[in-house]
Amino acid sequence: MASFIQLLVSGLATGAIYALIAVGFTLLWQTSQTINFAQGEFVMLPAFFVLAAMNAGAPFWLAALIGIALSIVILGILFKVIIVDPMLKYGVLPLVISTIALSLFLKESAKDFYSSQAQPFPALVPPTDIHIFDAVVSTQSLLVLAIAILTVIALHILLNKTRIGRQMQATAQNPTLARILGIPVQRMVLYTFLLNAVLVAIASILVSPIYLAKFTNGETLGMAAFIAAIIGGFNEVRGAILGGVILGVLDNLSAAYISSQYRGAFPLIILIAVILFRPQGLLGRIEERTV
Amino acid sequence: MTRVGIIAVVVAAVAAIAAPFFLKPFGIFLISTWVVLTIAAIGLNLTLGYAGQISLAQGAFVGIGAYTVALLTPLGVPFFAAFFAAGLLCFAIGWVLGYPALRVQHHYLAFVTLAFTTLVFLVLRNEEWLTNGIYGITGTQRPILFGWKTNGARDFYFLCLGVLGLLSLATWWMLRSPWGRAFVALRENPIRALSLGLDTRLYTLMAFAIGSSLGGLSGALYAPLVQFIEPNSFALGLSFNLLLMVIVGGSGNFFGPFVGALVAVLLPEWLRVTQSYYLIIYAAAIMVMMAFCPSGLLGLAERASRALDGRRAVTKTSVPTEGAGP
Amino acid sequence: MTAVLEVSNLRKTFGGITAVDGVSFDVRAGEILGIIGPNGSGKSTLFNCVLGQLQPSAGDVRIDGKLTTGVRPCDLNRLGVSRTFQLLQVFPQLSVRDNLILAGQEHQGSMASRLFGRADAGLGDTATQMIEFFRLSHLAGEQAGSLSYGQQKLLDAAMAFMAGPRLVLLDEPAGGVNLTMLGHLRERLQAYHAERKATFVVIEHQMEFVMALCTRVLVLAEGRIIAEGAPQDIRRNPVVIKAYLGH
Repeated sequence: MASFIQLLVSGLATGAIYALIAVGFTLLWQTSQTINFAQGEFVMLPAFFVLAAMNAGAPFWLAALIGIALSIVILGILFKVIIVDPMLKYGVLPLVISTIALSLFLKESAKDFYSSQAQPFPALVPPTDIHIFDAVVSTQSLLVLAIAILTVIALHILLNKTRIGRQMQATAQNPTLARILGIPVQRMVLYTFLLNAVLVAIASILVSPIYLAKFTNGETLGMAAFIAAIIGGFNEVRGAILGGVILGVLDNLSAAYISSQYRGAFPLIILIAVILFRPQGLLGRIEERTV
Repeated sequence: MTRVGIIAVVVAAVAAIAAPFFLKPFGIFLISTWVVLTIAAIGLNLTLGYAGQISLAQGAFVGIGAYTVALLTPLGVPFFAAFFAAGLLCFAIGWVLGYPALRVQHHYLAFVTLAFTTLVFLVLRNEEWLTNGIYGITGTQRPILFGWKTNGARDFYFLCLGVLGLLSLATWWMLRSPWGRAFVALRENPIRALSLGLDTRLYTLMAFAIGSSLGGLSGALYAPLVQFIEPNSFALGLSFNLLLMVIVGGSGNFFGPFVGALVAVLLPEWLRVTQSYYLIIYAAAIMVMMAFCPSGLLGLAERASRALDGRRAVTKTSVPTEGAGP
Repeated sequence: MTAVLEVSNLRKTFGGITAVDGVSFDVRAGEILGIIGPNGSGKSTLFNCVLGQLQPSAGDVRIDGKLTTGVRPCDLNRLGVSRTFQLLQVFPQLSVRDNLILAGQEHQGSMASRLFGRADAGLGDTATQMIEFFRLSHLAGEQAGSLSYGQQKLLDAAMAFMAGPRLVLLDEPAGGVNLTMLGHLRERLQAYHAERKATFVVIEHQMEFVMALCTRVLVLAEGRIIAEGAPQDIRRNPVVIKAYLGH
């Protein structure tokens, strides 16, 4: 029972991080038809921004802020302006291919311009343990969980209780109608990109102490984001959160009970199962074939 | 095809036949690699350029084909039986994979094939009793065809070239038939195609399955070519590489895969100075290309030759874009 | 005599909006039914529900007595139902001739025969006849994308007829077509109708076109049928006039 609680807590922590990544991914898809294949690399990169800032002498908290800022500029603004906007006129497929190329570009850039070795990343708290019932739970896990939950709550408040958030949602659901209602659609789309950049940066800072900062992190994290988004229902933000949490918990549990050789296979099997039996995901709607 | 195009193809064919007589063994190995990868690229071109679906599993299919041949031939199975088995197996797997994934929109096939590639890698690596795991399989024999031993570099090259020729012919026949017309319809305007009785799901699935089987056939030649195969060769990197080949060459263009594969094989050699940066340059070039000429190198060539011809033409977007709809 | 098309209590809602609100009507064999109504009255949504492009929220569609609600458009087409589109939907890169062959090829033989058989699926002559019928002979080899708008509209209609359908749904066939071409189009539609005894359902805005072509007219407003009858009666109907002027 004790180990189950440990697994559950660390699973929830991982799941919360997956949720953040998946939400950003889903938002991008909803508002601008952008399937960002480089989402995993987007999570991999900010950690290197932080490390670079620290190498330049900044204390961790400052480096983290710099990392988030750089993420907003590069993974938010530059991504939108240089890659997405010029490609949108050609349709979804060329854009997906561009993001595939981008993922390769970012991964190799991190490898060549920073390091191919895994880099240790500072934890947010010194490694101590708390005892809950009989279980030993690391404070790191609890803190990650807390920050991720706070971020999700903040996201919820932003999207549902603020004017800008509601405008963003309207833009996501029906851009034409939103435009007619006077919502500055282009600006809302930009905000979505910026929001995604913030989310991936936070996820990066939370996940890198555990995974270390490696240029290959993007592969697993990206895959987790896609699977979480699909489990939840491709076009549902709440679904992405649910999918991320489910994936994190199941992934952690499976690691304990399934051979380590096939560790990475479990999420993939979940994906295939969802596609086979409930392709619209848990919260998604069956899509209409539109004219 | 324009006259310039026909001349170019003839010149290229002559060059392909003459080349091995002027090249050292490593050079022959390079062009053999080009031939084998072109077969896989032709398959992916069917899936992407004609049916408009992204497959990130073509590398995995090459791997499945390679391991099929590498495991069957030492058991005494004749090479070409294993060759066809590889193709058939990949067709079946492609069908099974594509059937559920293509029921949905949103390019689910891309994610399913991504997951599949990783799964295949894990199986190849872990099931040592079958695949020898990370130690790989060495020494796959090159076949003897009606008494003609293909062990030598030049001989095996001609075998591969012959297979490429036959498969290209078969693909060309398919594209000239009503199936080819259906594929164009699929790519240009799937909604209209549906209303004309065209079962878009079936044709897309067929294109993906055939494309995947071509990947398997490519792998079947790859194993005796390199004579050492291991799981890492067929991981996501190869699938990415094949995808980029098809794009660079010009997706949806019949000769695109030939050009794209040539670039992919020669580029690392040319960029040897910037050895490890070649992937970055390649990826950056793709992004630039998608922004300015999504129809690839051959698309550029077509535009240039039309400009020279002075003919007006309907703008061709070879990378399938969403059909103009109401 | 069973109706060729029976629509019963069809409803379609999108979120909070009811686009089609309990529409029922029959289409008898051989008639040319016009459906008119102000913008936003639900005409196109109705069509899309009948044709399997949208899943109705409620209600049924029957073709020749067989239930076809939600059947896929390609399967419906093989039952003998065909359509044209409001916004042009030809295949711009293919030639006129290839467009026509494509339009009929899925009705010839099987998948296998289409792979191993003739490149034109045996439709070469039919395509030529259709090209002559619509007087597009001088354009047969041209890329469809290079034709004028009116010519593409003719091609669109020709494509809908290639498989010899019994029921054709035309979505604003006259939209954007100039007067001379309009007369030609209407005359060709009438000729096809007379020759093949097909049944047409036409959505249109242009009154003159509807009056000249249709044998019976339905008027839709806000998702419901508000009037029905012969063309000349409809245009004098006060309810109809109010629906149009009120918008």
